[in-house]
Amino acid sequence: MAGNKGRGRAAYTFNIEAVGFTRGEKLPDVVLKPPPLFPDTDYKPVPLKTGEGEDYMLALKQELRETMKRMPFFMETPEEKQDIERYSKRYMKVYKEEWVPDWRRLPREMMPRKKCKKDPKSKKAKDTGKVTSLTNTADVLKKIEELEKRGDSEKSDEENEEKEGSKEKSKEGDDDDDDAAEQEEYDEEEQEEENDYINSYFEDGDDFGAESDDNMDEATY
Amino acid sequence: MTQAEINLCSLLLQEHFGEIVEKIGVHLIRTGSQPLRVIAHDTGTSLDQVKKALCVLIQHNLVIYQVHKRGVVEYEAQCSRVLRMLRYPRYIYTAKTLYSDTGELIVEELLLNGKMTMSAVVKKVADRLTETMEDGKTMDYAEVSNTFVRLADTHFVQRCPLVPATENSDPGPPPPAPTLVVNEKDMYLVPKLSLIGKGKRRRSSDEEAAGEPKAKRPKHTLDNKEPIPDDGIYWQTNLDRFHQHFRDQAIVSAVANRMDQTSSEIVRTMLRMSEITTLSNAPFTQPLSSNEIFRSLPVGYNISKQVLDQYLTLLADDPLEFVGKSGDSGGGIFGSRCARIFRLVLQKKHLEQKQVEDFAMIPAKEAKDMLYKMLSENFISLQEIPKTPDHAPSRTFYLYTVNILSAARMLLHRCYKSIANLIERRQFETKENKRLLEKSQRVEAIIASMQATGAEEPQLQEIEEMITAPERQQLETLKRNVNKLDASEIQVDETIFLLESYIESTMKRP
Repeated sequence: MAGNKGRGRAAYTFNIEAVGFTRGEKLPDVVLKPPPLFPDTDYKPVPLKTGEGEDYMLALKQELRETMKRMPFFMETPEEKQDIERYSKRYMKVYKEEWVPDWRRLPREMMPRKKCKKDPKSKKAKDTGKVTSLTNTADVLKKIEELEKRGDSEKSDEENEEKEGSKEKSKEGDDDDDDAAEQEEYDEEEQEEENDYINSYFEDGDDFGAESDDNMDEATY
Repeated sequence: MTQAEINLCSLLLQEHFGEIVEKIGVHLIRTGSQPLRVIAHDTGTSLDQVKKALCVLIQHNLVIYQVHKRGVVEYEAQCSRVLRMLRYPRYIYTAKTLYSDTGELIVEELLLNGKMTMSAVVKKVADRLTETMEDGKTMDYAEVSNTFVRLADTHFVQRCPLVPATENSDPGPPPPAPTLVVNEKDMYLVPKLSLIGKGKRRRSSDEEAAGEPKAKRPKHTLDNKEPIPDDGIYWQTNLDRFHQHFRDQAIVSAVANRMDQTSSEIVRTMLRMSEITTLSNAPFTQPLSSNEIFRSLPVGYNISKQVLDQYLTLLADDPLEFVGKSGDSGGGIFGSRCARIFRLVLQKKHLEQKQVEDFAMIPAKEAKDMLYKMLSENFISLQEIPKTPDHAPSRTFYLYTVNILSAARMLLHRCYKSIANLIERRQFETKENKRLLEKSQRVEAIIASMQATGAEEPQLQEIEEMITAPERQQLETLKRNVNKLDASEIQVDETIFLLESYIESTMKRP
């Protein structure tokens, strides 16, 4: 080619002067790595606009952000269990209004399907069961106290019987735990109900024996 | 949707609606139209939560649904609508400038709630305004209604598509989803409501009750029992109309910058006259005769007819064609000299290397450097004009040119990235100082309650000292930074608006 200056010599295929470099000038190095993540800029950015309008919009923006968090549309993610239950958390719960969408405007599949309750009776009973389980343990403790006292008048026994009787009726269909507690109490109640005698009459063998020893069997060695 | 846009949408949804809604929303943006079960399966969230999230998104006009064959309902997200959430403060501020506080609150309530009935809006706004008024005064519903009607007349709020009235004779099961009907004629028709009443001031006992646990709060029994007269007619903000307003504002200010105040007033008048007659995205307004303009000029401007004509000829001859964005990079990354070169190339359309140096009056070496920098960032491109058919490089002209459309798109992409960065940085700053922020909030609450019960000065000071001086300094810095970041977000959004409008209007030209 006419433009070929000879073999082996470096020759540019185009007019290098058009691009602006003179021959022999040092060309800038080839860049081998990606540009830095935060390159230094020689020029500062244009300053922000300031003014009444801008200030107002800024305040609006921050207010809107806070307001949106309190709207019912903001769906809270259920938080993971904290290590320690903080007492103050109970009282810092933000009250949110309930929002019910207009179901006529939405597809039918959007309506939450209510799970049909298996047995309203059993649910109610479970609730009362829970309540009564607490009272059951309280009752058992009471029972133990009474048994320790041993010598209470029958009147108080009857009162207790009535209380337990009413509670027994509400305990229908309960869990096994409650049943077991029930059973215990029922037995005790039955025992109490059937006997008109004081329970302690035949129980304390030692004392009885000792007494009888004292009184009668003096001769046994 | 580009990755940058999706990322920004994710940040916005998370800030405004929480993580569950964000997950669902981003999934829909990424994958397009999908039915309910597929969404639940792919995102791994329970069906119940997906339903709730979709309800929220549909309420805010961010997701639409469509019934396909075989009764399957598919949901689609509107990415561009999500990005509009950045602009909410600007919409509200514009409403304030045009219709004062009442208008501002109406628009704010509509934006916060997505869609509302007119009666609900009026009631809420009246209550809010009453809160801010002096003791004993209340805001009348009629006044709020009037402002609402004015907003509807100027098309700033519009009706949502309606559920068609079902006929009783419709046989078979009801459709899986209502098909919403857009009634063009009635879109701005305000229902005849006689809303009589005054705003209620929230009682102070209610305010105290806010701190108590949920169970003790009185239920809303009264409001729900009354039948709502305009049930089913929902209103939403008409964002396009706001955009039109912004665009007009931008045009007017551009003209004012280029010429003078009077010409900008003329342009403003022209635009106002064609506000409702022209569609919002038409390339040209309806032709207006100079007589009409003359008649409609605001009262303060008594210029004679000839002067008006002169101005009009000037405006018509201006080469800048002020319905477009003129690619101002304004200094910025490359500096004002680069900006000069850029503007020069933009104006002259095509320039050679040597010509650039001459016209811009910048030394050759610097000019080269800047040109190549801009080239590498794709602001400027090279155009080859061969002299010979074989395109030999030594005999080809290389001209620098600016392809505005692609430059605009590239800038827009960078804008999305920068806003995402701004939001993330702001969240990072807030998270870093979370402990300190909570502490200061607690202290403020304590001080407020003490002031309410009448505490003395030394006690208050003691409480204030709970926050040490360096902590106060830290809080100040944090506040300043967060404000700056927020303000930057708003202003980058202005740029986004300009670029998007430009791209949209350029694409439509035949």
